[in-house]
Amino acid sequence: MIRTLTLEWLKLKNYRIFWILLGMYMLSLVVIAAGGGLFLEWLKHEGAEFQGIDPTIFPIYDFPDIWQNMTYLASFGIILLTFIVIISVTNDISYNTLRQNIIDGISKREYLMSKMMLILSLAGLSTALLFVLGIIHGAIYSHVWGSQFIFDELEFVAVYFYQIVLFCTMAFFISLVVKKSGFVIVALFLYALMFEPIASTILENAPFSRDTWAADIVQFFPIKSMNNLIKVPFGRYIFKEIHDNVSLRALGISLGWFAIYLSGIVFILKKRDLKG
Amino acid sequence: MEQTLEIRELSKRFGKIQAVNKLDLKVLPGQVYGILGPNGSGKTTTLGMILEVVAPDSGIFRWFDNVSNVEARKKIGSILETPSFYPYLTAVQNLKIVAHIKQCSTDRIEPVLKMVGLHDRKDDKFKAYSLGMKQRLSIGAALLSDPPVLILDEPTNGLDPEGIAEVRALIKDIAAQGKTIIMASHLLDEVQKVCTHFCILRKGVKLHEGLVEDTLGEINRIEVSHENLDHLEDVLANFEGLETIRKNTTSLHLSLKENYNATHVNAFCFEKDIVLRKLVTHTNSLEQEFLKILKEHD
Repeated sequence: MIRTLTLEWLKLKNYRIFWILLGMYMLSLVVIAAGGGLFLEWLKHEGAEFQGIDPTIFPIYDFPDIWQNMTYLASFGIILLTFIVIISVTNDISYNTLRQNIIDGISKREYLMSKMMLILSLAGLSTALLFVLGIIHGAIYSHVWGSQFIFDELEFVAVYFYQIVLFCTMAFFISLVVKKSGFVIVALFLYALMFEPIASTILENAPFSRDTWAADIVQFFPIKSMNNLIKVPFGRYIFKEIHDNVSLRALGISLGWFAIYLSGIVFILKKRDLKG
Repeated sequence: MEQTLEIRELSKRFGKIQAVNKLDLKVLPGQVYGILGPNGSGKTTTLGMILEVVAPDSGIFRWFDNVSNVEARKKIGSILETPSFYPYLTAVQNLKIVAHIKQCSTDRIEPVLKMVGLHDRKDDKFKAYSLGMKQRLSIGAALLSDPPVLILDEPTNGLDPEGIAEVRALIKDIAAQGKTIIMASHLLDEVQKVCTHFCILRKGVKLHEGLVEDTLGEINRIEVSHENLDHLEDVLANFEGLETIRKNTTSLHLSLKENYNATHVNAFCFEKDIVLRKLVTHTNSLEQEFLKILKEHD
């Protein structure tokens, strides 16, 4: 385990692009964490009113709601983290170092492990940072304090960790299939941010498919099932009913996808001939 | 250790092409084994399979009598056609990765870089290297763990004459240390110069296998010359070891009976008060043998 992680570390620690991407991601987390309050300030400044309520009094940083709010917003940033995985995998393909690593003396299993260890480390690091940011903002803004509030609903933080692992594993799989980093990033962007959301919206809302089986299959889509893990939390501030727990159904579906990505990776690593 | 490598009935097909066809091979410790064959004869595919980067369709191979393949690869230094390193890392950083994978000490990085003449450039990024330097780094990487076995695929491809001579000297050096070398090449001359054993592959089939020495060993053809060729011819006609004699404008070509060689010819002439102007032993070149073998199988 440590051996495979060290291998990945040796490959990345002197790689500038890795540090730039990681820095950008960390920064985005900090901005997202701080951004909620700033956004409400901006709404107030613009004169927006919610049934006569001053937006800045919305308790978005109150424990334990803060965990769902922050993980929901932070999940949009995960795509930046997948770039690190994409570049790390496609580099090994284009520089032919995957082949060289194996010839030098690692098994394909160890190679898979090294990338999964990278993914787990990135997820662990982000989750730790998110947790610390949550505690800091909660300490400043929360109207309640105490371990029974702070440590309630921490399952959202765990799910955030899982989302990163899931999305990065998907990126790992696509990288092995597509091989070229530019294509992988474009393909992932187009699919995750355009094709699937548009297809989902059409299927769920168009007159011909609404309320039929076609709308039902949307929840099985890879990105949708991942996003369904943490639902939009902000409805609670305008007294709408929201899902304030993790969807077990989405968890089951996404675990299915996770198994598909992993088997795909194992299959490709096992079967593909690495020619010089 | 009984044997270094054993291959049994190894086969690989790429689409319509049978790249390797039921190949059997055995390499023993200390051999310098050359795999000869024209381009596309399955040499690189065979090396790819025994290094587990190409999946065989059928057949088996075993390294070092039952060591797992991954562990075996850590004891093998490989120099393949294209040097593959991380371009954004320096030579030292790249070799640290190799040392980590091979689980060997990083102490040898400096001496190895000195040996391949890259010590002055050790902190330069790999992408700034010339092709020759890249190739020398891959030689350095292969020698880093001081492995008992070395695999070389067309080791002198793309090198300048000086580089070729260096690599050949290096191979002989390493072989002299008692290490086993498995080498694929289409350069007959190269195999002849450095190998002890060889096999010939064509279209994935092994056509011939043997000792280089045996193949080149027919040293019973002698060329001699003297001021008076006719006289020499008359005298040599009485030589007991003579099989045939053929005259051309400046010399005589003798072929001798078994157990006779140039020494006997020389002694015989000396006895008859003839001092030879020229005495040459002709050996077969591997090239002639190679063409002969290919022809036999046409």
